Amino acid sequence: MTEMKYDINKVRNIGISAHIDSGKTTLTERILYYTQRIHAIHDVKGKDGVGATMDSMELEKERGITIASAATFCQWKAHEINIIDTPGHVDFTIEVERSLRVLDSAILVLCSVGGVQSQSITVDQQMKRYNVPCIAFINKCDRSGANPDRVIDQLKNKLGHNAVSLQLPIGLEADFQGVVDLVSMEALYFDGDNGETVRVEPIPESLLEEAKRRREILIDSASLFSDELTEAVLEEKEIPTELLWTAIREGVITRRITPVLMGSAYKNKGVQPLLNAVNMFLPCPNDVQNTALDIKNEETPVILSGEQKDPLVSLAFKLEDGPFGQLTYIRVYQGSIKKGDTIVNIRNGKKYKVGRLCRMHANQMEDIDVIPAGFIGAMFGIDCASGDTFSAPGVNLTMTSMFVPDPVISLSLTPTDNKSQINMSKALNRFTKEDPTFRTFVDEETNETIIEGMGELHLEVYVERMKREYKAEVTTGKPQVAYRETITQQAAFDYIHKKQTGGAGQYGRVAGYLEPLSDEDFAFENKVTGGAIPTQYIPSCEKGFRQCLSKGPRMEYPVTGIRVVINDGASHAVDSSEMAFQAAARGAFLQGYAKAKPVIHEPIMKVVVESPTDFQGAVMGSLNQRRGIIIGAQDEGPQCTIEAQVPLAEMFGYSTVIRSLTQGQAQFTMEFATYKQVPKQVAEELEKEYQEKKKNV
Amino acid sequence: MEKKDLILRNPLRLLSGEEDRQLQAGQMGAVLARAGVGKTAFLVQLALNGLLRDKKVLHISLDDPVNKVSLWYEEVFRHITEEYRVKPAHEIWESILPKRFIMTFRVEGFSVPKLEERLTDLTAQSIFKPDLVIIDGIPFDDQELNLIEELKHLAETGGFPVWLTARTHRHEAADENGLPVKFVDLMDAFDAVVQLKPEEDKIHIRAIKGASGEKNDSFLMLDPASLLITGK
Repeated sequence: MTEMKYDINKVRNIGISAHIDSGKTTLTERILYYTQRIHAIHDVKGKDGVGATMDSMELEKERGITIASAATFCQWKAHEINIIDTPGHVDFTIEVERSLRVLDSAILVLCSVGGVQSQSITVDQQMKRYNVPCIAFINKCDRSGANPDRVIDQLKNKLGHNAVSLQLPIGLEADFQGVVDLVSMEALYFDGDNGETVRVEPIPESLLEEAKRRREILIDSASLFSDELTEAVLEEKEIPTELLWTAIREGVITRRITPVLMGSAYKNKGVQPLLNAVNMFLPCPNDVQNTALDIKNEETPVILSGEQKDPLVSLAFKLEDGPFGQLTYIRVYQGSIKKGDTIVNIRNGKKYKVGRLCRMHANQMEDIDVIPAGFIGAMFGIDCASGDTFSAPGVNLTMTSMFVPDPVISLSLTPTDNKSQINMSKALNRFTKEDPTFRTFVDEETNETIIEGMGELHLEVYVERMKREYKAEVTTGKPQVAYRETITQQAAFDYIHKKQTGGAGQYGRVAGYLEPLSDEDFAFENKVTGGAIPTQYIPSCEKGFRQCLSKGPRMEYPVTGIRVVINDGASHAVDSSEMAFQAAARGAFLQGYAKAKPVIHEPIMKVVVESPTDFQGAVMGSLNQRRGIIIGAQDEGPQCTIEAQVPLAEMFGYSTVIRSLTQGQAQFTMEFATYKQVPKQVAEELEKEYQEKKKNV
Repeated sequence: MEKKDLILRNPLRLLSGEEDRQLQAGQMGAVLARAGVGKTAFLVQLALNGLLRDKKVLHISLDDPVNKVSLWYEEVFRHITEEYRVKPAHEIWESILPKRFIMTFRVEGFSVPKLEERLTDLTAQSIFKPDLVIIDGIPFDDQELNLIEELKHLAETGGFPVWLTARTHRHEAADENGLPVKFVDLMDAFDAVVQLKPEEDKIHIRAIKGASGEKNDSFLMLDPASLLITGK
């Protein structure tokens, strides 16, 4: 057993957020190496077959991308740092967002060549939403084309950060040697096979002037956050290092300044100063205010004390299948979790006794006795879903429920043999618990297993994981867009369900109207007066209407945005039954629906393309061809950003198209934006397809 | 229909008055004001007024990124629809969205030939052909006469009117109309000039030069809170 230290001021829960391929995993690997959590360095896509430690899933190793956000613990200069490795691809944003809820701060990693890219913008917006303070690290300064100054400008212009450089690079590209620390005014070099020895030297003569100038800028920006510092500046006194640190820290915690560090993780340069900056500038759990929702009081936000003596409030943010059963990563916001404690899952009220607790380092773990407020750990043997709140008995607080979007794309799965069938169900069970945006069900008509998610890649990754981790061989169908049906105008119905010939009769009459509803999927209102429909049959009516929703009358897509109001009806003393009213409601729905001008809605994606300006016309053309509405084009010198709204149905295979259009120089991100009515022509095509399908069944 | 109501109730009708007093193709208008008085809000209202009349509007910004410009539209639209209690706001918004195109440039990277190139990109592929162009953020620091003339030429060949903003400064010398001296030379190039002037707690809209040529006193104002145009 390891003693867990409880000095909360020396705890940092950080995330490392970045664009895909900006070297985040390599950076994490180096951090773990310098903090002596691992004893050898492996590279992403390692030739030695080991791979970086954080990417614990095989698939991630192969693709060189990080999907799941494992929490890893390390120590640097008496500080405890929990690192949440956040996924870099936009298809997995639900995991990014959940991580951000758990973090207190983040390192924003940027590539010195690529700079601020569309994904960095998405991640930055999320950080803003969850109010996560950050420092920036400009990686890959050894690459040709490295230009940290340009990246700093982009941080200011594109992301609106008050970015201030804390360092000055010594040489760049192949000549990149080290950095000048503008606070201590020293040059830092990184010696040894793995850069483990930091050599401090005077600033090279050639950089001294520039370093002084930049230090002025740094002091100037920092002085906004400290009167003491401003005074020292005005009196032209020597600025004490600690004073400058404190001022910057104040600015960082309130998200008013973003200090920028630089280096090359791959070349083992600049990582230790970054760790120092994490200790120095990023907030500890006590510096950050967390809120929960009071479920007894209409979900009003409650500020959590963060005190260990108060009752427990904690969030299960990540599940993993380990060799000893389900492992639940948990962040404690208030109180503490001890072995033997009883805790309650707020979602379903189930009580659990806490068994084994541990602290995780990617694939290895360390047993501990308690997880106090502000800390991150893992529990064994507790059955729950990602995003569940656990608290002390009697507490009615839930951590802010995160926005979970509905899936926009689906795919059918057919297992190749019986064994795969069993493994597939195991895998699906796990995935749906881990990722709320991933859903699955069995289509009753075709008997196929359908999976649903947020994009093509999202589903592809799960299919791959099924094959690799669960040995489930499946064949997949063509991706299907999640269309919806809705109505556009009010329409009345008056329907009699009658079957009174032989045997037990059935009789029910339901009248009222349907109307469009904009902010909810379905609403049912009973305005029947005088007992025209006996009260006991009203729930049957609602049930009957609800039965019609999953398959719309027009093309069998789910019906959303509809309000049903019933205001009249009739019953029969003997022949009316619950069944009869359900049937009457179904008939009434069909009758009203046909008159309510039903339309088909399709998911619209927000697509952001970054491309060299030369291809701007071609890119816009390609979006236009895909029924895209171009919102805007942002010209940034050699690069431009084009933002558009494009129907998901038109986006299949777009990555290939854009690659060939721009000689591989453009990239794009895509996320769900909204549902919109499909144009008439497309609706007709869908109708045709639907008729074909019906014929073939 | 509600969209029509929005046009009718929209305070901008006060500004544009009769249809024939609006800027015609090839004409130029300018909005003068100091920083933070509401130039962008004013322009966005001009643009929305156009959009509601089924005109295609190209919004060019040299200061703000696309997201921010977009936000301006959403905010102003929300204010207008709330103020005038327009019901299917969402549908109207959806219907005008495809008619708007936002283009942003860096100030130093902006030139008329470049804009022309982009416009050709759009029109050649028939992606977008503007009926109204508004340009926000040209710094009138140096001699911009050249640029204005180029723009005017573009407006004439492209067949659309252009509105642009010009930021004035407190310390600048002004003529008897309160017009910055440096701007007097440029006056001839414009067919309409509107000045936004904060006085006490109100922002007055003065038409210094109207589309029909006559001067006229301020009869409109910007609500300092919502930055919406209101009657006096």
